[in-house]
Amino acid sequence: MNSHQPAAGPPLRLVLSSLLRADFAVLLKNRRALLISTILPLFILFTTNSDKATKHFGGALFVIGLAIAYGLVSASILGYALAVARDREQGVFQRLRVTPAPTWTIMTSRLAIQALANLLNTIIVVIVGTRLHHISLSLGQYCLVLAVSVIGGAVFLSIGQALVGLMKSADSVNAASRVLVIGLILLGTFGQSGALGATWESIAQWSPVGAVMTLFAAVLHLSSWYSHDTLTLLACGGYIVVFAAIGVRWFQWDAR
Amino acid sequence: MSDRPEQVRPDRSPDRESLAELIAQELSARISARDPLATVEQARDVATSIADMVLDRFDVRSRPAVRASHAAQVHMDDSSVILDVRDLSVAYGAKKAVEGVSFQIAQAEIFGLLGPNGAGKTSTLSAIEGLIKPESGAVFLDGVDVRIHPTQAKAKLGVQLQATSFQAQLTVKQIARLYAGLYGVALSDDELTKSLQEIGLEAEASKPFKQLSGGQQQRLSLYVAVVHQPTLLLLDEPTSGLDPQSRRQLWGRIEHIRQEGGSILLTTHSMEEVEAVCDRVAIIDHGTLLTTETPQNLIEKHRDDPAVRRVAHGEVTLEDVFIGLTGSAVRE
Repeated sequence: MNSHQPAAGPPLRLVLSSLLRADFAVLLKNRRALLISTILPLFILFTTNSDKATKHFGGALFVIGLAIAYGLVSASILGYALAVARDREQGVFQRLRVTPAPTWTIMTSRLAIQALANLLNTIIVVIVGTRLHHISLSLGQYCLVLAVSVIGGAVFLSIGQALVGLMKSADSVNAASRVLVIGLILLGTFGQSGALGATWESIAQWSPVGAVMTLFAAVLHLSSWYSHDTLTLLACGGYIVVFAAIGVRWFQWDAR
Repeated sequence: MSDRPEQVRPDRSPDRESLAELIAQELSARISARDPLATVEQARDVATSIADMVLDRFDVRSRPAVRASHAAQVHMDDSSVILDVRDLSVAYGAKKAVEGVSFQIAQAEIFGLLGPNGAGKTSTLSAIEGLIKPESGAVFLDGVDVRIHPTQAKAKLGVQLQATSFQAQLTVKQIARLYAGLYGVALSDDELTKSLQEIGLEAEASKPFKQLSGGQQQRLSLYVAVVHQPTLLLLDEPTSGLDPQSRRQLWGRIEHIRQEGGSILLTTHSMEEVEAVCDRVAIIDHGTLLTTETPQNLIEKHRDDPAVRRVAHGEVTLEDVFIGLTGSAVRE
């Protein structure tokens, strides 16, 4: 039993691959959450398919951007934050933390798997959206869409991380994330359309959902990349830094 | 300790009369069956077989007196000390949870940490596990300072937490693979299947953790805790919620781990468990270590303590000593 094995910790590669494999297995088993985060954007694509509706939301590219953004919001805030809060409450993190695995690997693995799910989700939405609206994209544009998906996913994952950093109980995170997602969706939908007036339109444009939507629309229609889009990219970077800092600074591994 | 679920293990030690009666019956039977003690060798054979029978009948082999002799053989020289907790203090804000706790655990020793709810057991364990930073003091695991080299220390530590704490959706196989990987153990399919066979979970290999029974969850949890052959195994109330069969089986596994040279620190509320498996026991209350002794010596030492006598019903038991030292008030 007393093996007196070398004092060094386990190989990082083995640790990370073990965590990634387990987190991927958990993601696949959470079919309901996976399905909801795919169905919601597809629902938006199909319900805004008419000319009038498409025009109302600023054109086909904005509608696709909106759908992708909503998929990312629901997966990252509802899915990720809630899963982290529940696992924390059940002591899953404490069990992982008593192993020699560095703590950053535990969160990195979760975030990486969620980012992968976000990417797949985005690909599905882009393929369906471009078919519905008869838009053809170049390979470069597909790559840019995926890059923006990573940025957009990071924005919403950092918001999710901030939520679990500021709230301990899974019930609180559940309630707050639902309110937040509904708020962001309403702000994105009605604010962007201008139905709530110019002030709300401006707030909506610079909100996380609005910023991500704008970025998607910009890369889907590259020829019209303006300085506004560059500022939007910077705003997304700002959201990521601020929310991630809050989420890391106040995150507690134990719910007690 | 072997796994002997069918044996009757009386709570009390054999008394003089029943022991004498048993020996008399046995001698009588043997003498009538052969030439009465013709040689010294024959007499020795008879005496030995009677001694074995008495030990088995009263299950004395695994009882505290025998364990005490094992504990007495444990020499606490520097080379055999596996865990060295020195003047440990843990505080949560202004509240002191542990204050000046010191103890050592030797190689192949089973050490029990007892205390009422909120006494400081879990805080002590958490500091050893590296989950919380102690306010002061030091913890050395096999010579490694837990605070300075947490990763190296954790690699030498096996932990079974009190609550079931695996991702409920993962299967037995996936959990075993995950934790083997986290401890740097690469398990082949054959090795994994063999290990699951050994702990009786081969048929459940593809079942999600949430579908396992309490005993099965506990077996998996213990397997995961020792998958890397740790130097020290920490068990936080390992038998709570288990049926007697599963409890006995777990004791057997704990004893097996010790026989292979592993040291074990366990917390429990079960005095039966302490008497069955622990070589030494420490009682902690209000964050302070009250005493560290073998279970038998603890009883002997406090047999005439007025606080212990007050709560004892007849012969003084370990539970009487525990309540006598920590008080009768129910803790939240």
